[in-house]
Formats: sequence, structure tokens, C-alpha cells
Amino acid sequence: MHYQYHVIYLLWLLPPLAVLIAGGIRKAWIHRHEEHHHHGFGHKHGEGTLSIDMYAYHSKIGSWNPKLKIGYGLLLLLICLISNDPYVSFGIIFYTFFVTVCLGELDADHYIGLLGIPLAFMIAGSIFILFNFSHTPFSNALVNIPTHWGYVIITPQTAKATVNLWCKAFGAISAMYMMSLSTMSNEIFGVLRDAHCPKLIIELMNMMYRFIFILMDTQHRMKNSAESRLGYTTFKRAIYSFGSTASNLFLVSMKRGTQFYDAMEARCYNGDLRFFEEKKPVTKQQLFWVIVPTAYFVLVWVMTFQGVNINV
Amino acid sequence: MSNEAILRIKDLKYTYSGGDHQALKGISLDVMPGERICIVGNNGAGKSTFFLNVNGVLHPDSGEIYFKGQKVEDNRASLNELRRGVGIVFQDADNQIIASTVMGEVSFGPINLGLDDDEVEKRVDEALTEMNLSEFKHRAPHYCSGGEKKRITIADIIAMHSEVIIFDEPTAALDPLNAKMLEEALTKLADQHKTLLISTHDMDFAYRWAQKLVVFSDGQIIATGTPVEVLTNEAVCEQANLRKPMLMRVYEDMVKHGIAPDDKAYPQDVAAFDHWLESIKAS
Repeated sequence: MHYQYHVIYLLWLLPPLAVLIAGGIRKAWIHRHEEHHHHGFGHKHGEGTLSIDMYAYHSKIGSWNPKLKIGYGLLLLLICLISNDPYVSFGIIFYTFFVTVCLGELDADHYIGLLGIPLAFMIAGSIFILFNFSHTPFSNALVNIPTHWGYVIITPQTAKATVNLWCKAFGAISAMYMMSLSTMSNEIFGVLRDAHCPKLIIELMNMMYRFIFILMDTQHRMKNSAESRLGYTTFKRAIYSFGSTASNLFLVSMKRGTQFYDAMEARCYNGDLRFFEEKKPVTKQQLFWVIVPTAYFVLVWVMTFQGVNINV
Repeated sequence: MSNEAILRIKDLKYTYSGGDHQALKGISLDVMPGERICIVGNNGAGKSTFFLNVNGVLHPDSGEIYFKGQKVEDNRASLNELRRGVGIVFQDADNQIIASTVMGEVSFGPINLGLDDDEVEKRVDEALTEMNLSEFKHRAPHYCSGGEKKRITIADIIAMHSEVIIFDEPTAALDPLNAKMLEEALTKLADQHKTLLISTHDMDFAYRWAQKLVVFSDGQIIATGTPVEVLTNEAVCEQANLRKPMLMRVYEDMVKHGIAPDDKAYPQDVAAFDHWLESIKAS
């Protein structure tokens, strides 16, 4: 293995990193007079729960053409998965960070917090790829950890596979976050409809999406009301309050769901949930931010190609 | 104004599924075009159930509904015609608003009517202008204030060009300023010859605004007539637990104590009361 190539290959990451840093500095410069404060959304207690929609609603790139955004998110996802190249993945991670935080002006803390959510799954998933178990130590292993039952071994292959997996997964997640943190759910459903996705599936997605929010909102209301009546002061009481809330939740949500349905039926709903959407034309600026990075990622992919890796 | 009722309800009965309590026990009501009707009565008297039946969301056990002389049948085309013509503004705006932008929300009804995009856009803009919501067009309705949400839900119905608009307790949960704006909006709609049915607990509002008062009690209509006719009927007031409007009580007390002549003037708003005071002072 020629490690010196990897050092040279790392240079490919400089341009996306430079774009990210420049974007960050520009953002800090523009907002230098504003006091830093956390916005009211996110996972705080006792507040509304439409947070993901809220991020998209506040995104400065919300005015971009949704088809372009969704198509681009999927394209980056595919590039990331097919190329299976950590340099491309890291480039995508940096670039989508730039798009979401610098162009979309989402709070960097919020974004990093959101990226942390899949971390637990990835740690759990990669343990069994990273570690091998054997009775005898491996001569070519990076680490041989002796335990009472045998050896826990990390070999260069497993280490490489894990790094590859993490890069790929984070790249893919970043690409999807770029899409979902800037595109309202109704626009995503609209694009799916235009893509001739079956009506039934879109309707189900939409209904489930609404109902999740009804559930969360109902739960919030009941929790707040229990909390205001000192329902969470001791552990025992908290358990009791949580239990009562949970048992009521379904009933109350069903009732609210029915009211929603009545209100929809009253407005001639006939199984096709459609809304009028603002027309968002594709501009040259949007195309620039799509085409130039894509071309760059393909270039990186070609330049750092190391043969087909069938391990992962 | 024609003499034919726009909405004729005959002996409507309704029982909620899974219950043996009859929520509506034979409701008959004629609604004339352009009428301003207030519906009053206790919680649980059947007002909301009645509205959902009239709009075709709930299907009555028995009874008939005629919309513009046409009997409403239990099929989609007929029900959709009824739902197009009779719009409901629900009590809790949070349970009515479903879209994530104000424009999307208001467009929901017109799109369901199968109109083309240009017409939908025209109607949405029209309805938003009417409710002073043009600047909110691209906002998220869930983050608007209570009064704004109410106006959004009214715009929802205006955009459908419904001839009859039903308001289920519109003034509940509104602050005085928003309640005033709502009343102005209602007057504006009445001036456009929309037929308005409003359920309310605000007797002062019903007294000054309504042309006709309908009293619900335990699933039945126990009185209909002008506000003065209904509210001077002590038996009705007692049965439905109606609180008399303040101006009416002041007027009646003045008559009782001999300060004013018993001229059956019944001034219905403050301006009329002022005018009436001037006139009795002069005489």
C-alpha cells in the first residue's frame, strides 16, 4: 500500500474545506453585530414540536427549486455510495455542511447536533466490522488486545473497511440532511407526485407525517399540563404521570385526528391531498452550486480511484 | 333576495355511532339567502353536530337537507355540491389548518373543487386580500397568532366561494381586538350577500349582529325569531340558560323603573342606544 499517495490525495479535500471556511467567515462577518442566541426550536422542553419542518421553513435556501434540491441530494447520495471513496465522501460532508449552514444559514450547533443523532447507530453497527475475535494473535494486526477468552483484533483491512463505511454513511446522511433541512415536507411530496410515485404511497406518507406531529403535539400538551400540576417532582410520580399520559395519548390523538379529517372532508377532500405550491424557478446561481461541486466530486473520484473495492 | 330557502333542513336526526344518546332530535330550519343567523345554546346542545350534518361530513339517521331546492342525496357528487356550497370555519383553527404555508392552506379547498391552477391562484389571492393576509402568504400557519389563524381558516372557506358559511364559535379564544376584526370581517361577508350561520355564547354579539336567533337545547330547536322576539321570551331563556344581553337588560330596567317609555325600541348596539336616549330626552 502506498501511503504517500494518500497524503497527496488529502489535498483534494482542501478546496471543499476552503469553501466551508470561507462560507463560515462570511456568515460570521454578516452576522457580527447580532447577538448570538439560540432560536426557540430544537429539542427544548415544553415547546412546539415541528422542529424539522421549522428548520426547512427558516432555511435561506428554501426558495431554491425543490426538484433541483431533491435531485441533487439524491445525486450526491449516489455518488457517495457508488464511488465508495473516502475523499469523495469527505468532500461531500464538507460541501453539504457549507450548503446547509452557510448558504441555508442554519445554526452550526444545531446542525452538528442533528448529525450526532445517527452516530449511535453507526457506532453500534461498525463494532462488528472493526473487531475480529481469535484464539491466537494475528501477526499483521494493527492491535491485538488480549482478553481472558482470546484476542480482540483490529487488522488494517477491518480498519479500512470501518473508515470507508463511516465516510460513506456520513456522506450519505449529510446529503440527505441538506435536502430535508431545506425542503418543506409538502414540497417533497409534491416532487414525488410529479415523479409519478403511486398516489396511495404519497397519501400514506403525508397522513403519517401529519399524524406523527399530532401525536407529538398532544403528548407535549399533556406533559406540560402534568408538569404544571407537579406531576414530575419525584421519580415515582414521574413514572405515574408518564403512564397516564401515554395511555391517554392514543385516545386523544385519535380524536384530534378525526377532527382534522372532518375539517378536510368539509373542504371536499376526496383522497387526494394537494396544495398549491409556489413556483420556484431554477436560477443560474442555484445551478452553479450544483454543477461545479458535482463536477469536482467526479474529478476527485476519478483521480483517487483505487480499483474496485469489493470488501465493503 | 328570493323567497326560496337556500338551505332547508327537515326533521334531521342524528345519533353518534357507539352511543344511544340522540344528539339531534328532529331539527327543522329554513335558511334564507343572505340571512345572518346566530345559533345559541348550551355546550352539548348539538350545535356542532348540526353543523357537521349540514355540511355533509356526518350522515343523518333520518331527515332531509335541501340545498338551493335540490335534495341532498347520500352520494359523492351530491355531498360535494353541498360541501362546496356550505363551508365551515371550525372552532379550533389548529384542527383545521393542514398545510405548511398559508397559501397552500387556502388553496386546499379550491384544488379539491378541481379548478385549474390560474383560478386557484386567483381565488387564493382574493381570499387572502379579503382577510388582510397577503403579507402572510408564504408563512407557516402554525406559527401565526391565534387571530391570524382564525383569519386563515376564514380565508380557507372564502376561497371556495361558498354561499353559506358556518362559523363554530368564532369568537372563542380571541382577544377583544381580534374579535372586533372578526366582526368587521363578518359584516363584510354579510354585505356580499353570503349567508352566515354563527354559533356563539356571546349574547351581546348575537343581539347586535344577528337578524335571526336560533336556540338549541338538548338536540332540539326551541325557538327561532329575531333576537328581541326570542330573548323577551322568558321561558326560552330559562330553558336554554341564556344570559340576556347587557343593552337589553339596561333597556328593560329603564322601562321598569319608568325612566323610559315602554316603546319596544330595543336598541341593539351602543350607537342605536345613544340615538334612542337622545330621542326619549327630546320627547
